[in-house]
Amino acid sequence: MRQHLIELVLFSTYAELRAERARSYLGLIWWVLEPAMKMGVYWLVFGVILKTGGPDYLPMLLIGLTVWQWMKSCITHGGYAIWTNLPLIRQVSLPPLVFPLVQMFADTIKFFYIFALLLVILWCCGYPPNMAYFALPLVFVAVFLVAAGAGFVVASIVPLLPDLRFVIEQVLTVVMFLSGVVFSLKSVASPLREVMELNPIAVLMEATRGILMRGEWPNWVGLTKVSVISVAICLIGTYVVTRLAPRYPKLAT
Amino acid sequence: MSDVLIELENVGIAFDAQRRVGGNRFWALEDVSVSLRRGERLGVIGRNGAGKSTLLRVIAGILAPDRGRVRRAPVSCQLLSLALGFTPHLSGRDNAILSGLMLGLRRRDVEARLPAIRDFCELGDFFEQPIAAYSSGMVMRLAFSVAIQIEPDVLLIDEVLAVGDAEFQEKSGTALRERMGEGHTVVLVSHDEHQIAALCDRVLWIEHGKSVLEGARDTVFEAYHRDMHLSGAPA
Repeated sequence: MRQHLIELVLFSTYAELRAERARSYLGLIWWVLEPAMKMGVYWLVFGVILKTGGPDYLPMLLIGLTVWQWMKSCITHGGYAIWTNLPLIRQVSLPPLVFPLVQMFADTIKFFYIFALLLVILWCCGYPPNMAYFALPLVFVAVFLVAAGAGFVVASIVPLLPDLRFVIEQVLTVVMFLSGVVFSLKSVASPLREVMELNPIAVLMEATRGILMRGEWPNWVGLTKVSVISVAICLIGTYVVTRLAPRYPKLAT
Repeated sequence: MSDVLIELENVGIAFDAQRRVGGNRFWALEDVSVSLRRGERLGVIGRNGAGKSTLLRVIAGILAPDRGRVRRAPVSCQLLSLALGFTPHLSGRDNAILSGLMLGLRRRDVEARLPAIRDFCELGDFFEQPIAAYSSGMVMRLAFSVAIQIEPDVLLIDEVLAVGDAEFQEKSGTALRERMGEGHTVVLVSHDEHQIAALCDRVLWIEHGKSVLEGARDTVFEAYHRDMHLSGAPA
């Protein structure tokens, strides 16, 4: 049974990516072009017009937005997945977590494409590979767990309360600005900065930037705390989805 | 008792009538009891809105009862659903694999059945093309060809007995009747009394979400017809 579900999730992920590629004329190119356009907007506003970015602003922004885009996609796409698949849930008995997982895995594969391109850009801009790269998988696991946990919680509630979709985007925009995605927390004045640095997403952003830009090993204590929090969020999300699962087949999209 | 695969005891299923705070609930099933034994072909009859499809989804394990009890032996139970998970931009082959996985088959089992699926649907080279290019009849051919491959311990059928054009209807109907005749345990919901009479040994009659009578086919039909004659309502 478990192996069957793994096969289902993996093939559905492949199918999702393949279908997405086929839905537009430029296909795969959009996976990279869309985030590149978004990065261009922030670079124009903060780097060129306001000039608040500082000397390393472009790489800092590229790293921040690449990681954030991955998290956000997992939370929104995964978060809406049970709701959009309600017609299927009404016809077949499957664990509802299958649907958010498929979206999250598809977004993770897309992230790896974008991340590979990011690495090439960083190397060309004078930020060469370094030993601290070995810590990247750990940071990525923590990022995925935070996103998956939040995505599961959203996924569990949206089928019961679809109105939540109108709020989610705004909440995520606020979270993005509070997490130092498009600006460095170092530019924030002191008492507020320490408070903002308690945000687990900000810790993950800083860890990724430290590794890629300065060859610094992550702050292990901070990373461990974030990992514990993210595992807890993941477990809460899984629990809520499992508890609410019997209600989903009775709901309309 | 050991050959009883699934047993429903006074099962009730409630739905929310509207999506709003304090909305009313309605009971699609109020009080249904039935037991299904191994190798039995059970037909479910009743008027529109009697709760037949809801009952099938309870037996399939999709809906959990809001009251009453469901006891089931460790058996696989699958609703014959057509085009489950079909995605327009994927090829017929990929959709067949995806749908097969959703219907409970392992990947290697679907792969092994692909030649049979391809032969049965008679789509030729279209099998490798995205199904967005198919006509609706072609989609149903593919959908049925996949669905007929599943072999659960208990097969649940909701009206789907034949699909497509006249020729394929004949072919799909024959394939399904053969499947039902192979000693499988089957629950069939249909408006077509003749089909139930021809294919089922036992019949459950439900009305307004309540089981009225369960028993041998002829006995239940006799009572059902007598009731319809008295009430003058169409089936």
